[in-house]
Amino acid sequence: MSATAALAHDSSGPAEAHAAHPPTATGIETKKVLMWLFLASDCMFFGTLISTHLVYRKVYPYGSTDKGIIDILSTFDIQLTSFSTFILLMSSFLMALAVSAMHKGQIKSFRRSCIGVIIFGLIFLTGQVYEFTHFFDGHALYTFSVKTAAGEVISSTYEGPADPARAKADLAHRLLAAHPDWLSVPAAAAAEDKALAPAEQVKKHGDWIVTAFKQEKVEKKSLSMQNSVFGSTFFLMTGTHGTHVAIGVLWLVSMYLYSFTGRFEKNMHGAAIDVEIMGLYWHFVDIVWIIIFTAVYLVEYIPGYNPAP
Amino acid sequence: MSADAHALSHAELLEQENQRYHAFINLALFLSVFTGVEIVVIFLPFPSWALMGTLVTLSIVKFFCVIFWFMHLIYDAPLLTILFIAGLLLAAGTMIALLGLMQHDDVDPAILHESMAPPSRVMHDTAVV
Amino acid sequence: MSSVLVSHKTELPPGRSGLGLPRPDRFTGWRDWFTTVDHKKIGVMYGAAACFFFLVGGVEALMIRTQLMRPMQHIITAQLYNQLFTMHGTTMIFLGVMPLSAAFFNFVVPLQIGARDVAFPRLNAFSLWTFFAGAILLNASWFLQFLNIIHVLTPADGRTDIVPGGGWFGYATLTEKPYTGIGTDVWILSLQILGVASLAAAFNFITTIINLRAPGMAMMRLPVFTWMTLVTSFLIIFAFPAITIALAELLFDRTFDTNFFRVQGGGQPIFWQHLFWIFGHPEVYILVLPAMGIVSEVLPTFSRKPLFGYPIIVFSGAVIGLLGFAVWSHHMFATGLGKVATAAFSLLTMAIAVPTGVKIFNWIGTLWGGRIRFTVPMVFSMAFVWMFMLGGFSGIMHSAAPADAEQHDSYFIVAHFHYVLLGGVLLGLLSGIYYWVPKIFGKMMNQKLGYWVAGLVIVGFNVAFFPMHYLGLIGMTRRTYTYLPDKGWNLWNFVSTMGAYMLGVGVFLCFMDMVITVRSKKRACGPDPWDARTLEWSLPSPVPDYNFARLPIVSCRDAWWMQKHNNIPIEYDQSDVSHGVHMPSQSWMPMGAGIGFFIFGMGIVLMSAGVPYCGYVAIGGLSTTVVFIYLWAIEGPGGYHLAVPTVATPPAPTAAPTRVPAPVGHH
Repeated sequence: MSATAALAHDSSGPAEAHAAHPPTATGIETKKVLMWLFLASDCMFFGTLISTHLVYRKVYPYGSTDKGIIDILSTFDIQLTSFSTFILLMSSFLMALAVSAMHKGQIKSFRRSCIGVIIFGLIFLTGQVYEFTHFFDGHALYTFSVKTAAGEVISSTYEGPADPARAKADLAHRLLAAHPDWLSVPAAAAAEDKALAPAEQVKKHGDWIVTAFKQEKVEKKSLSMQNSVFGSTFFLMTGTHGTHVAIGVLWLVSMYLYSFTGRFEKNMHGAAIDVEIMGLYWHFVDIVWIIIFTAVYLVEYIPGYNPAP
Repeated sequence: MSADAHALSHAELLEQENQRYHAFINLALFLSVFTGVEIVVIFLPFPSWALMGTLVTLSIVKFFCVIFWFMHLIYDAPLLTILFIAGLLLAAGTMIALLGLMQHDDVDPAILHESMAPPSRVMHDTAVV
Repeated sequence: MSSVLVSHKTELPPGRSGLGLPRPDRFTGWRDWFTTVDHKKIGVMYGAAACFFFLVGGVEALMIRTQLMRPMQHIITAQLYNQLFTMHGTTMIFLGVMPLSAAFFNFVVPLQIGARDVAFPRLNAFSLWTFFAGAILLNASWFLQFLNIIHVLTPADGRTDIVPGGGWFGYATLTEKPYTGIGTDVWILSLQILGVASLAAAFNFITTIINLRAPGMAMMRLPVFTWMTLVTSFLIIFAFPAITIALAELLFDRTFDTNFFRVQGGGQPIFWQHLFWIFGHPEVYILVLPAMGIVSEVLPTFSRKPLFGYPIIVFSGAVIGLLGFAVWSHHMFATGLGKVATAAFSLLTMAIAVPTGVKIFNWIGTLWGGRIRFTVPMVFSMAFVWMFMLGGFSGIMHSAAPADAEQHDSYFIVAHFHYVLLGGVLLGLLSGIYYWVPKIFGKMMNQKLGYWVAGLVIVGFNVAFFPMHYLGLIGMTRRTYTYLPDKGWNLWNFVSTMGAYMLGVGVFLCFMDMVITVRSKKRACGPDPWDARTLEWSLPSPVPDYNFARLPIVSCRDAWWMQKHNNIPIEYDQSDVSHGVHMPSQSWMPMGAGIGFFIFGMGIVLMSAGVPYCGYVAIGGLSTTVVFIYLWAIEGPGGYHLAVPTVATPPAPTAAPTRVPAPVGHH
């Protein structure tokens, strides 16, 4: 095809289609080149994050300088994470179907697949949030006694966050929410308290109500950004990935809503390219998760990788 | 790609997309199976190097399957593959270099243990302006 | 999109975008400049900002040199000294050199490849406005410091270093929360914002160069400046992610008490050094490759010979870029890397001298046997070759790790990098300014003054920095705000300061001349005052909005020269342009997104300082950016048609008013 004939195409089609679709020097759609470049750059981005995690993992076999502060295997919940991984892989499959539908010009089919990707993406994000809060809280068993206003002493057990201070405050809140009449304090202090809000009163007197509070067994130690290097690198890396997923979901929702405005039909080819680059982004997020899942979660289970504290 | 899309008739385009659709379904099944294998294998009594090797290999296979089929690289111009692989190789190379650089095999174990122990002296946070 | 054909955009009827809002296409004046997506105007704005910030960085440098002129001076306190060298480095690199290079990329590259604009015009504008956001945020710290001095702003942690003072490399642990104040937060956030701007621009340029070349413009027919733009852009997209993550980790350490670099929590400060230099080394090639590209344009033009060894120069540029990723730890030879690592990085650093040397030989080969015209741009470019070589020599001396053990943290290093940055990058960029201002503004700069500028700059910077080699080797250390009088450093520090002032005068005169030239009604020149070689010179000066009335069909390298002197006329695309040329619509959205980034950065900084409610300001800023990006997506590219003259071939080149007669010799 001679160069002049290629350019003659410019003046033949409708002006808008021409504007959206001029011939390129390589024959590849310009937006596609842009997205692949962005993904190549994003590889370095996640590569640095994963490097940080792996380097520190190598330097500190226990995840921190203190032995025992992190018990990684008991913190991780491999069933939940595996489930999340499957969900993300299936969302990737649905995304490929959505792109395929747009190339065939089937907008309704695109919408169905797109909703599927959005739902699966949201399930993945929910799983991540649940996982993070449970890592952050940890899980421990406590015994405690309660002194009621009537002078009764009740003993029981409580399951809550692994951090004792937080667990005690949490317990006090729950008990007083169930038995507000227990918040009756010694006469001397009563006058001061009238000015305080109930939450403030709990904070001030929770200790008085909950006595003999003892941590019996830690089933999962808490993992926070602050309490170990592992926590810092883990949360930053998976948090960045989660942010990428969230941005992807926002993009998908926007595309889904946009598909109802009628602008897709005006320029099917352009719309198909736009959906395709959205698909590229989503698949990339998936492959990054494949790497993270293997390099961060699964390797911990290999015997010898993670010495017992 | 744009030139190709114009060159194909609508019927041919549909046929091409349908073939790819079948490829996608097969791939989705493979990916699920590979992931399942990975999850199961880590609990089996194989030596560590074999487990590590299996995980790394399966991950790489999954990675490239998604790139080439779901992300269409195999159907697209080679330039896109080159652009992406360049970024990937740079990232991988940097990671390997960093892991090598942060080794401490040269360090006397006694000094290493001392540096890895929790700090016994409190670090003063007060500022000296 | 308007299908109305107009001969000037002010004639456009008010059109509406996909959002239902009016498009700003028909405005002139400040609304035109704020909403422009024209690569030429964006290039001019980048250049103007760069020249301004060059002067700011220069003032900071002169303050440093004044302080060091004599021993035991206390013109400047130690803290202010730290802040000055930090700001000098950060300003010169990120707000001086990089935007000036970006100005040339923006203006020149689409013209050299035969395109009408870059691939994503609004993204281009977004890069510009985000750059402004980062630049203003960084320098706003001076204003905040002033507020601190007059007791209006007192940071919550009681520290007074509001202007960043941790060095342009921000080493942890110094930049952690107990040791530096909110200045470090300003530094982190402005670098992150500037990083976004650079990345967006780099993606745009790679896509433009790959996809928007005119028919027949094969990759190996591209001008070398365009090639260097391509390599630099690849360096940007692969290097900036490393610093983005490093800065994010440092910010998290400071704000959320994470343990990336905090020793108390188990962090390893050396890791900051690794991550920073993984970015930092490619960054210095990002700085120098565009200047090398400019020199590769100027030398052939004024030698009246094609560039010697074009394929090898292109290949060397690419190799320099690639190897630039493999040598970062040569900045860390004194940290105890271990035998193997030190040897490996030492050898790789020596290796990177090879393609650089190849380029030098090829430039000399270009000059050899040419009919040289010593115009102002030529003087700068020839000086580049020589001065950059000197900088390279001291660089090779650093590459030997045992020698570096003595040179590290001494003024020998300061001498090296100023030779490559001033003798290299600055001379190359000044060459570009004098070479391309006639194309950008249609007027020549004052050539006589230009020779004076060249003299002052070249002599001044040599007087300023050559003695630093000696000072470094006799033991003067970097980053110390004063020194004892009995060390034997007094004389050369004084001489160095004199040189610095000379250099400052030279640069200032150049920028003054640029301003006068732009505003002058005289000194108009034709489209091709230099009798140059590449496509941009085939267009009128200043270049019309649509660039090419008809797209050229390129059949060889240096097609414009071939048409003028070798009788190979450029064919132009003959398709019907009676319905005009499609121009992209202008937009407020990129500027809005940039402003959002500024608000976000300021919010975080003030939040760290303890000003109440600033967390909400930060969230508001980020939301503003997101909203404007959404609006940008929904408004659509739009566009209108601009009528173009139907003359198929451009006017013949007119003689340059200040041409030096060529010496008689063989062709």
